[in-house]
Amino acid sequence: MPPLQPVLKKIGWALLAVSLLGFIDAAYLSAKFYLGETPTCFLLKGCDVVTTSSYSSVAGVPIALFGALFYLAVFVLSLAFLDRRAPKLLKWIGAISVPGFLFTLYLVYLQFFVLHALCIYCMFSALTSTTVFVLALIGMRLLRRTQVNAV
Amino acid sequence: MESNEISAKSIAMWVGAALLITIVLVGVVKFAGSKEGTPGENPIVAGLVPVSEKDWVRGASTGVATLIEYSDFQCPACASYYPLVERIVSDYSDSVRFVYRHFPLGQHAQARGAASAAEAAGRQGKFWEMYRLLFEGQSEWAGNPTAEKTFESYASQLNLNMEKYRADVTLSEVQDIIQTQYEGGIKANVNATPTFFLNGRKLQNPAGYEAFKQLIDAALATSS
Repeated sequence: MPPLQPVLKKIGWALLAVSLLGFIDAAYLSAKFYLGETPTCFLLKGCDVVTTSSYSSVAGVPIALFGALFYLAVFVLSLAFLDRRAPKLLKWIGAISVPGFLFTLYLVYLQFFVLHALCIYCMFSALTSTTVFVLALIGMRLLRRTQVNAV
Repeated sequence: MESNEISAKSIAMWVGAALLITIVLVGVVKFAGSKEGTPGENPIVAGLVPVSEKDWVRGASTGVATLIEYSDFQCPACASYYPLVERIVSDYSDSVRFVYRHFPLGQHAQARGAASAAEAAGRQGKFWEMYRLLFEGQSEWAGNPTAEKTFESYASQLNLNMEKYRADVTLSEVQDIIQTQYEGGIKANVNATPTFFLNGRKLQNPAGYEAFKQLIDAALATSS
C-alpha cells in the first residue's frame, strides 16, 4: 500500500469527523420524528414549522433519515479511504456529495423562501454537507495533481 | 510482519468506528426520548398571572386543580396537544379548571390574527367553538397570507354576526387582551408553546394522554 499524502490523510480524517457530526444531527432529527414528538414552538425559532412541514418527509420517511444514511455512507467511505488508501474511495465520496450538496441547497431554499422559517438542526446539517462537498472536491483535485505528477 | 501490524491497526479502526456509531445511536435515541420531569418538583412560578374573570375558563368552576395553557393557534405542537387537552377537560370536568391564554410567537405570521378571531368570537359567546375550529383547521390557514378569509368562514360557520365579528377582530381592546396575556406569559418565563402550568407549577410537556393524566392525578392527590 502506498503511503497516503499527508494532506489527503488530513482530508480523510476531516471527512470522518464532519460526517460523524452530520450523522449525530440527522439521527437526532430522525429519532424525534419516529418518537412522534412535535418539537415545542420556541420564541424566535422556526424548528416547529420546518420539522412538521409537508416537506419534512417523503412517503412517511423523514428527510432526516436520508441525511443520516448519507452521512453514514460518507463516514464508512472515509474510514475505508484512510484504511485502504484507494483513490477511488475518495472519488465515491465526491460522487455522492454532489447530490447531497444539491439537496442541501434545495432544503435551504425551502426554509428561506417557502417556509420562511429556519431550523437550527437543519442549518447545521447544511453546513456539514457543504463541508463534505468542499473537502471531497479538494481531495479529488489533490488526487488528480498527484496522478498527473506520477505520469 | 509489517502487513500484520497494519491489519491489526485497521481492525482496531473499524471496530472502534462501529462502536462509536453504536454509542452515538444509543445516545441520540436516549437524548431524543428523554425529558419528563417528576411532577411536584417544579417550583410555583411567582410571575404567573392569577386566574381572573378576564380569562377564558372551562371545566370545573371551583376547580381543585387549575391547568393554564399558554398557546399559539399556529404552533404545530399546540395543535397536537389540543386533542389531549380536550380529553383532559372532558374526563376531569368536575375537578379540573382549564384556562387558555394567548402566546402568539413572532415567527407565526397568522397567530395574532387567529387569536383575534378567537377573541372576536368570544365577544359573541363562542370563544371555545372558534378555538376548536382554529386548531382543527390549522393546516388550512397556517402560513397562508389570506388566513383572515378562513377565519371569517369559521365565524360564519358558527353563525356569528359577521358585521360585529369583522369590527371586533380589529378592535384595539382585543389586541390589548392578546398583548397583555402574551406579556403575562413572558413574566412567567414562558419561552415556548405550548407551556402548561398545573396549580402554578410549570409542567414538562407530557409525552401523551397517559402521561398527562398522571400529572393531573398527582396534582389532584396532593391538593385534596
